[in-house]
Amino acid sequence: MTTLTSRPRTEHVRPQEAHPAARRSPGGAVFYWTGGVLATLVFLVPLLWAVFRSFEPASRITATPSWSDVTHLSLGNYEDLFTGQIHLWRYVANSLMVSGGTAILVAVLSTFAGYGFAKFRFRGRGLVFALILLTLMVPFQAVLTPLFLELNIVHLTDSRIGLILFYATFNLPFGVFVMRNTFAAVPADLEDSAFIDGCGPMRCLFHVLRPLAVPGIATTVLYAFLASWTEFIGALTFLTKTDLFTLPVALLNIQTGTYGTLNYGYLIAGSVVAMVPCVILFVGLQRYYIRGLASGAVKG
Amino acid sequence: MSHCLTHRPRTGMLLVAPAFLFVLMLVLVPLGFAVYISLTDWPLIGSVKYIGLQNYTTIGNDTTFWHATMYTLIYTAIVTGPIFVLGYALAVLVRSNRRGAVFFRTAVFLPYVIGLSTLSFVTLLEVQPNTGIANVVLKKLHITDGTTAWLVNTVPATAVVCTLVIWFAAGLTMMLLMAGMQGIPSEVYESADLDGASWWDKELRITIPMLRRTIALSLILSVIGSFLAFNQFYILTQGGPGTSTTSVVMWIYECAFVELHLGAATTLSLVLVVVVGLVSALQFFLLRDDT
Repeated sequence: MTTLTSRPRTEHVRPQEAHPAARRSPGGAVFYWTGGVLATLVFLVPLLWAVFRSFEPASRITATPSWSDVTHLSLGNYEDLFTGQIHLWRYVANSLMVSGGTAILVAVLSTFAGYGFAKFRFRGRGLVFALILLTLMVPFQAVLTPLFLELNIVHLTDSRIGLILFYATFNLPFGVFVMRNTFAAVPADLEDSAFIDGCGPMRCLFHVLRPLAVPGIATTVLYAFLASWTEFIGALTFLTKTDLFTLPVALLNIQTGTYGTLNYGYLIAGSVVAMVPCVILFVGLQRYYIRGLASGAVKG
Repeated sequence: MSHCLTHRPRTGMLLVAPAFLFVLMLVLVPLGFAVYISLTDWPLIGSVKYIGLQNYTTIGNDTTFWHATMYTLIYTAIVTGPIFVLGYALAVLVRSNRRGAVFFRTAVFLPYVIGLSTLSFVTLLEVQPNTGIANVVLKKLHITDGTTAWLVNTVPATAVVCTLVIWFAAGLTMMLLMAGMQGIPSEVYESADLDGASWWDKELRITIPMLRRTIALSLILSVIGSFLAFNQFYILTQGGPGTSTTSVVMWIYECAFVELHLGAATTLSLVLVVVVGLVSALQFFLLRDDT
């Protein structure tokens, strides 16, 4: 679940030039393309298949597949999910609010903390940093009971805010780590000259350092959003009111047939809805994602 | 490092305070609270009773707990090797930055980004007897008659979950190893070439030793992930038949929020925190800078 290498590894790799280790792999091009096509078939085709299935009505999904299926595709599942009694948009909205809220909160807290840890010296700095990073090692699955009781006391169970606080905390160590490294990489001269020009630390952060911090913030936001969007056990534990469910829990409800009998068409279409933001964000922001993997503080 | 801002310790403290407050209130306090709960008989509703170490001995005698532990360990043992080998092979494939490599690595990594809960719902549909694509394909290949109800029996259900997880997690190992491989200076390989080293020689004598840290990292991430398995079992097998596919986290969840024995559940949670902490410590040990 967690990792911390004692020093940040080199984040940069030469992107265009072919690496010699690969250039001389046996069989060369034939090997490479066969492997690549095979990998695509194994990893991508099942996802495309799921998208295809989502356009089939449930009666077709639960019948023996045949070639005539392709002539029976429709948007029916999606129409029912969004306009019918399931109100899927409500769960999409909940998931967006929770994941978006988490991402923003983590970005703000991590940016301040990362700046503080990277650029200031104060008593207890090492200890506080160590305690925050310790969270990387604590599996949140294992503190669900005390957390549930604690949040219950302050009436933050069955609350989107409570869920945001929970997600934010467990995404913080990664964010703080990434942001500290981001600020630590900024040469001290830059703030020195800003300081001589009469900038205070906050103005310095907002005006001088902000552009340099953007890639780190993008990485932090991306990880926090994706982690909260796909999180399941926490949402399952902290939310009992149907109105507040996030998408994964709503899908579970469709699976267990809370909305009448289990409709596989709805389940698969709902799953595709849950996939879409992950795919878009990853494909669009892949380089920030890989930056995060290389930062040395990955939570699996 | 002597510049002006470092002389403003109060600003520094104020900057890190909010993040620390979150960690304090939502991680450190719950951990301390957990120790207390583990020493009590704590039904979700009703009065709390201090019972000392009784939960610890009760858990030791609980057969479902031992079964869940054994099952989780077996599951971890099954998936760790294939995730690593597949991830390594894929990393070799995509590390070159040749034409198509970005596409291939994106395709392989997508399942990991989409997440296990969503993928479990999709899998549920595709392993249904007669109609799920898994069964249809197996029938077309004349391996089975296509009527297998995969999730009804322990062994086939475990096979489904393991296959799903290997497919899901290989992308992470691939990305981590790929980043590591691309960081190895090309001069090392060039000098090996001058010595006439074969592809295998270079892989075994250069890549793997130089990737020691990254390999340890990806293995440990994968092991910890398996220890904490929940979504795939909860969604696909509900821990059944009976409790035969109940993982440790699932046992904790059921014990706490279905049977409402918070004391016992929290006790096991603490054991899990210690185990995961030890594995993480092992990682620090393996990844330390000793060169």
